Amino acid sequence: MPKLTIEELRKKRESSKKSIYLREGKFRGKVTVHMGTCGIAAGAREIMNTFLDEFDNKDIIDIMLTSSGCAGLCSEEPMVTVEMEDSAPVKYGKLTPDKTKKIFNDHIITGNIVEEFVLGIGSERVG
Amino acid sequence: MSLNLEDRKKIGSALVVGGGIGGMQAALDLAESGIKVYMVDNKSSIGGVMSQLDKTFPTNDCAMCTMAPRLVEIGRHKDIEKITLSEVESITGQPGNFTVKIKKQPRYVDEEKCTGCGACVSNCPTRNTVQLQEREVITLEPQYEETVINILQKHKDRKGPLMPILQDVNEVYNYFPEKILKYISQETGYPLTHINRIATFYSAFSLKPIGKHVINVCMGTACYVRGAELLLEKFVDVLGVGIDETTEDMLFTLKSVRCIGCCGLAPVATIGDDVYGKLQSKDIPDIIAKYQKKEQ
Amino acid sequence: MVEKRRIELMLCAGTGCVAGGAFQIIEGLEKEIAARGLEKEVSVVQTGCNGFCGQGPLMVVIPDNIFYGWLTLDDIPHLVEEHFLKGRPIEKLMFTPPEEKEVLPMLSDIPFFKKQLLVVLRNKGIIDPEKIDDYIARDGYVAIEKVLTSMSPDEVIEEVKISGLRGRGGAGFPTGVKWKIASQQKKTPKYLIANCDEGDPGAYMDRSLIESDPHAVIEGMFIAGYAIGSSEAFIYMRTEYQLAVDRMKTAISQAREYGLLGKDILGSGFDFDIEIREGSGAFVCGEETSLIHSIEGDIPEPRQRPPFPAQEGLWGCPTVINNVETLANVPVIITRGADWYSGIGTETSKGTKIFSLVGKINNTGLIEVPMGINLRDVIYDIGGGIPDGKEFKAVQTGGPSGGCIPADLLDAPIDFESLQKAGSMMGSGGMIVMDEDTCVVDVSKFFIQFTNDESCGKCVACRDGSEALLEVLTRITNGEGREGDVEFLEELGETIKDASMCGLGQTLPNPVLSTLRYFRDEYEAHIKEKRCPALVCRNLIQYYIDPDKCIGCLKCLKNCPANAILGELKYVHIIDQDKCTKCGQCLEECPPKVSAVIKVTGNDMDDLKQLSEIIPVPKKKKKKKTE
Ligand SMILES: Cc1cc2nc3c(=O)[nH]c(=O)nc-3n(C[C@H](O)[C@H](O)[C@H](O)COP(=O)(O)O)c2cc1C
Ligand code: FES
Repeated sequence: MPKLTIEELRKKRESSKKSIYLREGKFRGKVTVHMGTCGIAAGAREIMNTFLDEFDNKDIIDIMLTSSGCAGLCSEEPMVTVEMEDSAPVKYGKLTPDKTKKIFNDHIITGNIVEEFVLGIGSERVG
Repeated sequence: MSLNLEDRKKIGSALVVGGGIGGMQAALDLAESGIKVYMVDNKSSIGGVMSQLDKTFPTNDCAMCTMAPRLVEIGRHKDIEKITLSEVESITGQPGNFTVKIKKQPRYVDEEKCTGCGACVSNCPTRNTVQLQEREVITLEPQYEETVINILQKHKDRKGPLMPILQDVNEVYNYFPEKILKYISQETGYPLTHINRIATFYSAFSLKPIGKHVINVCMGTACYVRGAELLLEKFVDVLGVGIDETTEDMLFTLKSVRCIGCCGLAPVATIGDDVYGKLQSKDIPDIIAKYQKKEQ
Repeated sequence: MVEKRRIELMLCAGTGCVAGGAFQIIEGLEKEIAARGLEKEVSVVQTGCNGFCGQGPLMVVIPDNIFYGWLTLDDIPHLVEEHFLKGRPIEKLMFTPPEEKEVLPMLSDIPFFKKQLLVVLRNKGIIDPEKIDDYIARDGYVAIEKVLTSMSPDEVIEEVKISGLRGRGGAGFPTGVKWKIASQQKKTPKYLIANCDEGDPGAYMDRSLIESDPHAVIEGMFIAGYAIGSSEAFIYMRTEYQLAVDRMKTAISQAREYGLLGKDILGSGFDFDIEIREGSGAFVCGEETSLIHSIEGDIPEPRQRPPFPAQEGLWGCPTVINNVETLANVPVIITRGADWYSGIGTETSKGTKIFSLVGKINNTGLIEVPMGINLRDVIYDIGGGIPDGKEFKAVQTGGPSGGCIPADLLDAPIDFESLQKAGSMMGSGGMIVMDEDTCVVDVSKFFIQFTNDESCGKCVACRDGSEALLEVLTRITNGEGREGDVEFLEELGETIKDASMCGLGQTLPNPVLSTLRYFRDEYEAHIKEKRCPALVCRNLIQYYIDPDKCIGCLKCLKNCPANAILGELKYVHIIDQDKCTKCGQCLEECPPKVSAVIKVTGNDMDDLKQLSEIIPVPKKKKKKKTE
């Protein structure tokens, strides 16, 4: 490893920032893949992998990708919930990797909700 | 012994052995009562230890003020003859009539003629030569030598190399064999006394061999308030040795330390590199047994 | 290509958690994650001390920020499946405050973390201390860039002066002033020493700092070196802190690789390098002149000051010695500015301070709080109060040089001046909480024993004075105290303070003097009534089995190491006071429901004796059975 100059140090800092972005806790949005037993049986793993790949390809770091338990609508699995800053959460159901890619490109990247796959907008009320 | 006074033939002189303050006073008293006195001292001058003291116990009197007048008086007294640089070889005869054989070292100066001017001292060409005993050369057994030489080599160019050297040696041997310390002194030029002071100052160093597993019971504040004392007692009890002692089989050395920085787990003890947190005295026998088993 | 993960598990790998088996947990987690094919999504990061050591081994799950404590190997398969695969966090492993039922899943909800303000420990639990890139990503080494490109050494010193930073090693000397003195010296070379000897029992801030963020210390050292014009620096560490030493070694070699240490740093023409020196277990080596002697390979005894090390130190050259926590403050001051920094804290004490909160307290651990916070907040909010519903008695700060602060002063702010006024001191930051079961005389004795052991013996007042104090205190705790002992302790204490040469002796009587000031009655109870109110001093207490409660279960009898308990199954047990060694085993053994064993002291002992004189008699169990 050759010694760094100031320029190189700055570059290094920028690139390293991405690798610990998760820990800074600053996110623009959140994608939740529902991975209860039913979800996994219906192929939620594949959906998760697709998201992971897409996130990687587009170098997205400021959106949180997480999993959660069954959403309670087992017949519609696999499901995901997409929450972007300043808008209500959107639930998509019966996903396939292709559908997932579309949601990723349209909703997450450009911000247009993919109406055709939408199950519901807004979240359940917590009583 | 009963003395037959008839047989005794007194001769009018006395011998005082030793020219310290006591000897000087005795010689003066004798001489004042008209007896010829010979005074023997193995040094080149009389005066003894008191001449080296400033004040004397318990009265804090000035030592020189006490002895200087006596020195002068003895020097002047016509009945006192000083025989310096001499030692008594034998005494024969009986009280009242002794014959004493005295061995006198050469002085190379005619005392009769010397006026004490000191010119010979300042003109002596070999005045400051100190003659030391030949120092014995330490060589280590081959199995030690290589390790120690490597360590010395490693720190050769450091500033203040002594601590790192000692730490490395300690790392290898767990204690300081005397010979290695002497060897280090010989190679580095640090006086042995200096090395010894360092080796005994730090609690991580020991001059005695220590056990294979060092048990450190933390007696730091956090551990203390959570009952570390009881743990230590239990260890003493189970191992049958006291603090800073080693079991006979050379397996364990028991020590107490002040805080190892695991206060969150107080009370804590360490055995070698293993840390035992939230330790209870009833667990101790089993822990010790575990290590003993490993050895068998 | 930077690797991205969905989940990161920030596992604490500080000494406390490692002792609790953190490395095994990490290994287990990695295996389990791989077994489920999650290694692309979930990664395990080893961090330095998280601070909440009482809960270790522990981890924080990022990005959900969920805190799991007291992990065991058995929890892992369940945890990985439920949480990381299915996304259902596990309540059982979360933190529940004692005396409450509700669990607190999120790190940020836990009061222990809530009131803290992280400046020095800003990276704790977020970076992997063995990866320089993690530190760089968190704006690490920005301060070096800044000083090298836009600040002269004098400007750096001025900035530190304005920030109001004071030494964290104990005395609180203004750091900027110290640097100024050294920089004005004509003699060269100049040296810098970072003091990480940390010998105070009950304190481990410096160790944790190095274990969690070694590069912050390196950066601070660099800036100090630049300011005073020194190219050679030492960091003096305790050998007992092996993990910290190893991490520091790693960090230094990484920084060298990047050219952040060595010759011509970042092309600026400035050289700077750091060498690690280890101590070998002598408390007095923390004292600056003694530390210098130790590095030189001399006898590590302190010497008279002045000349101060900043004028004449290592090998007779100007030397700045700073505590590592002081130095870790410096990069923040440079990057965020002195004005920002001086906005935190009180009039005379700026910034934050790390404390280790230990002893009789629910949440033991390492905390960083702004100066001026009051003790009540620290002990009750952050520390979660005293365990088992016991009464708070005092908190000891400043280690063997400090003193005890009693309950009435709990609302006093924590800063250099007010602690001093209370008869204690900031010290390096150990905070040892004592409850009603702690005897202050016994604790004073403990501290004097410590200083007496550690006194280097160079000056009489410290060496023999501590011996004399110890003798009297031992007598008092043995129940042989005499009239006039208290006054003697006071007089002797003051004399030692005046007549000692170094800080060790000058502060050694503090634990005694401060407890005399606040708990004089306890000393007098020991001396006049031969009573230990906290039931600690062995010669003043007796263990006693309440015949009305004893169920004759033989538990205490069998476990008594001294065979001092008489009795048979279903017969009331009696302790033979002549044989009893007061080890307390019987108290531990007695089932909590029965709790027949009690401790008594002073006059109470006499009242009970007659009762226990009865020979073992069958206890009528009927009463119990019918109930
Ligand atoms: C007996 C004694 C022990 C000390 N131990 C430490 C120590 O463990 N760590 C430390 O940083 N300073 C310790 N000090 C204080 C140092 O002498 C010195 O004041 C300090 O390192 C200066 O750094 P600062 O200006 O950053 O506080 C000790 C002082 C004395 C008298
Ligand atoms: S007091 Fe025992 S580990 Fe700190």
